[in-house]
Amino acid sequence: MMAFLGISPQLLFGQLLIGLINGVFYAMMSLGVAIIFGMLRIGNFVHGAQYMLGAFGAWYLLHLPDLFPGLGLPSLGYWWALALVPVAVGLIGAFMERVFIRRVYELEHAYGLLLTVGLTMVIEGLFNVGYGAAGQRYDIPATLKGGVNLGFMFLPYYRLWVIAAGLFVCALTWYIVERTKLGAYLRAATENPNLVRAFGINVPRMLMLTYAFGVGLAGLAGVMAAPIYQVSPQMGQSIIITIFAVVVIGGMGSISGAIFTGLMLGMIEGLTKVFWPQASTTVIFVIMVLVLILRPAGLFGKETASVHAANISMARPNSFLENGRLWLPILSGVGVVLPFLVYPVFGMKIMCFALFACAYNLIFGYVGLLAFGHAAFFGSSAYIAAFTAASWGFPPEFAVLSGMTVATVMGAVFGWLAIRRQGLYFAMITLALAQLVYFYALQAPWTHGEDGIQSVPRGYLFGFIDLEDTMNMYYFVLAVFLIGFAAIYRIGRSPFGQILKSIRENELRAISLGYSTDRFKLLAFTLSAMFAGLAGATKAIVFQIASLADLYFTTSADALLMTLIGGVGTLLGPIVGAIVVVAMQKEFATLGAWVVVVQGAAFVLCVLFLRKGVVGTFEDWLATRSESKRNAAGYTADLAAKGAE
Amino acid sequence: MTRAAADNIVEVRGLTKRFHGFAAVSNVDLDVRRRSVHALIGPNGAGKTTFFNLITKVHQPSEGSIRFNGDDITNEDPAHVARRGMVRSFQISAIFPRMTVAENVRIALQRPKGISFHFWRSDSSLSVLDDRVDELLAAVGLEQMRDKTAGGLPYGRKRALEFATTLALDPELLLLDEPTSGLGTEDVERIAALIRSVSANRTIIMVEHNLSIVARLADRITVLARGKILAEGTYSEVSTDPRVIEAYIGGDE
Repeated sequence: MMAFLGISPQLLFGQLLIGLINGVFYAMMSLGVAIIFGMLRIGNFVHGAQYMLGAFGAWYLLHLPDLFPGLGLPSLGYWWALALVPVAVGLIGAFMERVFIRRVYELEHAYGLLLTVGLTMVIEGLFNVGYGAAGQRYDIPATLKGGVNLGFMFLPYYRLWVIAAGLFVCALTWYIVERTKLGAYLRAATENPNLVRAFGINVPRMLMLTYAFGVGLAGLAGVMAAPIYQVSPQMGQSIIITIFAVVVIGGMGSISGAIFTGLMLGMIEGLTKVFWPQASTTVIFVIMVLVLILRPAGLFGKETASVHAANISMARPNSFLENGRLWLPILSGVGVVLPFLVYPVFGMKIMCFALFACAYNLIFGYVGLLAFGHAAFFGSSAYIAAFTAASWGFPPEFAVLSGMTVATVMGAVFGWLAIRRQGLYFAMITLALAQLVYFYALQAPWTHGEDGIQSVPRGYLFGFIDLEDTMNMYYFVLAVFLIGFAAIYRIGRSPFGQILKSIRENELRAISLGYSTDRFKLLAFTLSAMFAGLAGATKAIVFQIASLADLYFTTSADALLMTLIGGVGTLLGPIVGAIVVVAMQKEFATLGAWVVVVQGAAFVLCVLFLRKGVVGTFEDWLATRSESKRNAAGYTADLAAKGAE
Repeated sequence: MTRAAADNIVEVRGLTKRFHGFAAVSNVDLDVRRRSVHALIGPNGAGKTTFFNLITKVHQPSEGSIRFNGDDITNEDPAHVARRGMVRSFQISAIFPRMTVAENVRIALQRPKGISFHFWRSDSSLSVLDDRVDELLAAVGLEQMRDKTAGGLPYGRKRALEFATTLALDPELLLLDEPTSGLGTEDVERIAALIRSVSANRTIIMVEHNLSIVARLADRITVLARGKILAEGTYSEVSTDPRVIEAYIGGDE
């Protein structure tokens, strides 16, 4: 066979084969995610971790004698793993559904996603503690070693098996859901659970089994993946974001759509590796962008009943805790004396993250949109500020402004794309777009890959204030924080803020009053990105570094966690949340990998038990107390009146 | 045709909406005369609310065209249609529950001011609207409750608030989706009186089950059944039409 465009057939077909294998995994995974979303309305972020559990399950079975010496257990090989592990992972899934996920069915979509993000952090964090970043080897089973030479390429038997088995499982799942009575019940239960319940079907059990089945598929994919990829705690982390993008591209409309989209995208990724290797990590996300522009509902998506902005704000408008005119001077006062009480660097870190969380709160709390990619704005702005300060010698104020400008423009573009889809999709799209930026920064020369931009000069503010001096730096950050805080407060209480409020309270009504709500959401999203950028750029100047961590999805999760802990939509919540999270990271820093576990647990606990957050709960308590006081006063007055009669 | 267009505020031609093959509204032609009260009635499932959702563009029609003041609005989005002066109410009271009664009305009043994107201004700049807010609240008898949280109002009061909010836009065409459903007698009377008083210089289209209200308020009535127009005319005309009687008594099981 001739070389095609200077590319050898071995390379072309080899990459196509790898693409097809990746596609099989994408199909199996997105199938599970689509089924779980369809039936349970849960964006199962923990799917990647469950896939990782499958791979580790296979590895454990192989190493039973080493793990439990003295019990005389046999080493169970691949075929045993294939039979046992998906069931075990499915059981773990059933347990997770029973204990955690069931509790958030009736709540807004946002909580389901947050809960599964928390569970992911706990699971992956624990495996990270145990196994670190290094991968474990898992050999191809003896029966499938070797391969066949097709003349133009060598085809390993194991890969052939993965493709065949994966396709079979996908087809079987399609058949069960679309063509059997059980599948019909499942589909009916998603449409109208109460009606199905009236037929005498145990809906909660059915939902649990559905979840367990979806998770079992992930476990099976994990076992199949173990001999191909390395078995490592991180293996689920990158795939889940890709899977979300696959789901956005395919649309949740159909099972066969999910399978086809997964396979196709795997192949496209493989082809990209041949022709333009640098783009292969981002091609799926780029396709997602194109699909959103050309066919917003997804390739196989049907026009869905639109889900509107969620009202998850926990603020009580009349509480004195919501009065910015009162709190701005208090925060200024505390800010001025703070460096004499704690390390200034610690104070600066809190302020940078508090501003970031306040910016995030603007879109999540004030508008009710679950954005999950604010790391893109925070991190890009940090990179731009670091780069302009380090390479072009920008003074700090211009470096920060440059970063902020870039973040604002990105916010406008990302918002324009993401607002085409509602609810959980919005979260998935923002997450995928942020991942696109992350992969870009990983590869672009000017960002210095894994190293990031280091030794950023702090420079002279306005040409004469030396920011190398810690106190000068501190008060600059304080000024930035207070300006940002005041501006966000003003936005919330402007004529524009009133419309945002009406959108989260009742979007349909706002539309019927003549407001094109998407334009308001877009402006709010852009402003939110701008302030996230301000926080990121300031952080880069303070810590003199911009790194990949600033762009990673965990940074987006941090913003969410801070807002959630403090109280979504409250004035002071993001600040309280930032203090808690930054302090927690500092306290647990010595525990190393455990930090992620602790943070994940905090996520889970907040979603389950502290949805109002610290500030929201406090405002509630104050309100109930003043009410009961008033009632008591009324009662006494009544008694007095009665006595007078 | 052009003369008719001047008299008719809304002209609907061949309007059809299919959901998964089921035609909820099929091939409906309707003209609504300017400054009239036009009622849509019909048994449950006749397609009244779907029809409403079609002309306010909440749903996109499968076929047909809609003209408002002579302009084709078939492909416009609902917010745009509202800005043209066609404002609707909802079957379930549509309010902003965690805002105060006054703020609810102010949201509507704010739009024509053109400052709704002004994120840098204080909302105290909206206080110029307070007098108009009070007028509108007084018109629906809510002046005592202006600072109460809207979500805490009794149902009848919520509907009154929704009405005040809709009126705040001074719409040329008002679409009321079952304005009296779920209300007690006293509230029904209040709403009926309101509808009559605001109908003086605007057009009203309403879906209504309460036939005595329809008889009293409507100038013209269209009867829908199974997505099609069954009859059209004044109350006395349609109420004696045998097909209408048949549809109401025989068809609604």
